[in-house]
Amino acid sequence: MQKDLEDKFLVDFETNQNIAHKICRIYTSNRDAHNDLFQEITIQVWKNYPKFRGDSKFSTWMYRVALNTAISLYRKSTRQLKTQDFDDVAYKIKTVEYDDTEEVQLKALYKAVHQLNDIDKALIFLYLEDKPYTEISETLGISNVNARVKMTRAKEKLKNILNP
Amino acid sequence: MYSLDNYKKAWGNQPEETYQFSALEIYKLAHSKSSSIVKWIFIIGILEFVVLNSLSFFIDTETSYDVYKEMGLEKTILYSTIVAYGVLFYFLVLFYLNYKRISTTDSSRQLMKKIIKTRKTVRNYVLFNFSYMAFVIVLVTAAYLKTHFNDLEAKQIVLILLLIFVLTLIILGVLWLFYQLLYGILLRKLNYNYKALAKLEKES
Repeated sequence: MQKDLEDKFLVDFETNQNIAHKICRIYTSNRDAHNDLFQEITIQVWKNYPKFRGDSKFSTWMYRVALNTAISLYRKSTRQLKTQDFDDVAYKIKTVEYDDTEEVQLKALYKAVHQLNDIDKALIFLYLEDKPYTEISETLGISNVNARVKMTRAKEKLKNILNP
Repeated sequence: MYSLDNYKKAWGNQPEETYQFSALEIYKLAHSKSSSIVKWIFIIGILEFVVLNSLSFFIDTETSYDVYKEMGLEKTILYSTIVAYGVLFYFLVLFYLNYKRISTTDSSRQLMKKIIKTRKTVRNYVLFNFSYMAFVIVLVTAAYLKTHFNDLEAKQIVLILLLIFVLTLIILGVLWLFYQLLYGILLRKLNYNYKALAKLEKES
């Protein structure tokens, strides 16, 4: 029983690990912090896995657990992200065949998102991941209306940082 | 300037993380709580060592040294203190090694072995502290009775022995409670991890 559960967890988590990586990129700014957060997300997802009923998709559920882990960890730590740390993230997203314009945009995007607070980061992340509002409100535990209001403000803040 | 939708598109097209974790690595990460428990055992051990050492700055060691001297115990106490510090230091090294080994563990069977080892180290450490405490108490009592034997009546000796016995029980009780709180909680968590691992082992 336990073994089956663990096998299922390993398969689910391995195939969906990019959710965790993307959240780590948004909430941390260097390799060590990225791996720390990734580890904490792994622990939390595994710890909560028996509660995953399977009435939603695993990825949907994982967004919730992983984001909540990142938010609560980010609140506990007093460290503020420094923008010069950003180069560490940039090296990871550089590939040869990658379009230049989009690379510039992506770098600017990460730099801007890093300046948002923990909840705004989560909102923007879910927007970028193209999640519907029903899922966003469920993931963050707020009402649909509240999610829309908060999203509008978060987007406004992001736009101001991107186009000062 | 680009609109948010442009950025969203760039986000959607970003390459995947170059470093992908394997199932085995994910398994290790998910079970890595044991290493942080062992890390705490190590940190608490160091704190205990530092606190015990700094206590001697506050306690009037000269007066107690004079008392020991009067009883002819000064050398015994000095040597046993040196030995005790040596042993404490040895345990600190063991705690550290346990921590290091558990952090770089690969299979669940090995992790289990290392958890057992850590539990043994902690148990021995607590046992040593208890016996050292008891040893000092017995020694001081014996020396005291020896130097004052002629001035004391039989009744007084019995009373002193009884008093010391009760006092020893109280001191050891407090010490036991202290360790129960300090290491007991950590060991229970470690034990839980061990049981979970053992169950996995059996079923695989």
